[in-house]
Amino acid sequence: MDFTDFKTGGLMLTIALGVIAFVIAQSLFFIVKSWKHAKELGISSSTLKNTVVSSILFTIAPAVSILATVIVLADSLGIILPWIRLSVIGNLAYETTAAQTALEALGGSLTGEITDTTEFATVSWAMTIGSIAPLVLLPFLCKKLQKTIGKAVNKNETASKLGDAISAAAFIGIVSAFVARAIAGTTADGTGNAGFMSVAVLVVSIIVMVILELICKKFDLEKLRPFTMPVSMFVGMGSAMLFEAVLPAEIVNFVWR
Amino acid sequence: MQKNYFDRVHKWGISWDIGALLILLAIPVTISTYFNAWPPLKVLGEILLTLIPLYWITAVAEVIIYVPMLGAGGTYLSFVTGNLSNLKIPCGLAAMENAKVKANTEEGEVVSTIAIGVSSITTTVIIAVGVLAFSPVLPYITGEGSAFEPAFNQVLPALFGALAASYFAKHWKLVPLPVIVGVIALVFAPTLGVGILMFITIFAAIAGVLILYKLKWL
Repeated sequence: MDFTDFKTGGLMLTIALGVIAFVIAQSLFFIVKSWKHAKELGISSSTLKNTVVSSILFTIAPAVSILATVIVLADSLGIILPWIRLSVIGNLAYETTAAQTALEALGGSLTGEITDTTEFATVSWAMTIGSIAPLVLLPFLCKKLQKTIGKAVNKNETASKLGDAISAAAFIGIVSAFVARAIAGTTADGTGNAGFMSVAVLVVSIIVMVILELICKKFDLEKLRPFTMPVSMFVGMGSAMLFEAVLPAEIVNFVWR
Repeated sequence: MQKNYFDRVHKWGISWDIGALLILLAIPVTISTYFNAWPPLKVLGEILLTLIPLYWITAVAEVIIYVPMLGAGGTYLSFVTGNLSNLKIPCGLAAMENAKVKANTEEGEVVSTIAIGVSSITTTVIIAVGVLAFSPVLPYITGEGSAFEPAFNQVLPALFGALAASYFAKHWKLVPLPVIVGVIALVFAPTLGVGILMFITIFAAIAGVLILYKLKWL
């Protein structure tokens, strides 16, 4: 890290460490409160510990992908501002659009390294203005929404059953969006085209998950159940490396989008 | 009991939410003050005009859709650390599935909050360690030409494949409609962002439930 560059100097590093401390403090606060209440509700320690371990395993690969996007933005913005932004709220598509909008408003573009402090400050303003929307809305909407939903689904048994089905449908809707993307999607820059690899990885992780679930059921391995999802994900990712190594390039690179 | 706990979570959540807002706003203010580099007002206005319609409308839809899924604590945490659809939501869903608890119950609330809290800390630590220790070597791990590149290009299909297997097996009747609608939407608009696509597939899935319910097939 170049401490003489204003983008990666002491001030930016201090801000980054402050933001990280805040995120960790908030997360710990909610974990402790939830943990205490879980015990009051009679949820076993082993269930809670399994939740922690499987959530860590589940997070590793996506977090490394997020880290990779920090590096992408570092070319023009230095590494610390993207680091801060992707630790709070941000994602690559949003941060790039915000930075691009700011620089275009100043008559520039995001193609080269930023060397002007006003450009840099303007980018940081743009990134903040767009991304704070949910934080402004939550205090007004979150409680109301939850109460409305709670009231609706707890009205009677039929409503509760329908409520469960609708909430399952909403989850399935989310998963379906990503499944549909693996089958038929693409990205504006053409790097995420659906093709052999995306469908093969999708199918491998589905099959591995089904097999692991069956093994857990058949041999009564309840303790291993929390690991089935992260393991299936890693095997799916590993299969991509295997396909790349053993299959001809025209197959692994075959895309239909 | 239920009312009390949820009310407390909202109180804590709103306090942390306001704290996060102040910290986020402090970042550009500090940068501009320290470097004495304030964006011209006209430029700031242009940025507001471009970004607010783009992101604030999506934010309203995101809040409405995600709150019922994440629970109160999970919502306040997720919206601070971001990466909801590709990380926090699947993580919360997987945890509730493993613990066999339902969303919108106190049990679901605590389990999803713990999962999302742990996921937020893990992500923050991985990014921090990665930036401070591994940023020079990271391109060799995830970048073009590395042995791991194919694996990191397929994180999302691998993650959602695992999640799909467990959800789809349980609710197979609800699956075909949203997947088919999603694929059709992508046939006509291949680069459709996942945020918009998700609204379409969620809408299709809920419409499917209502139809099946009316036909008494559910």
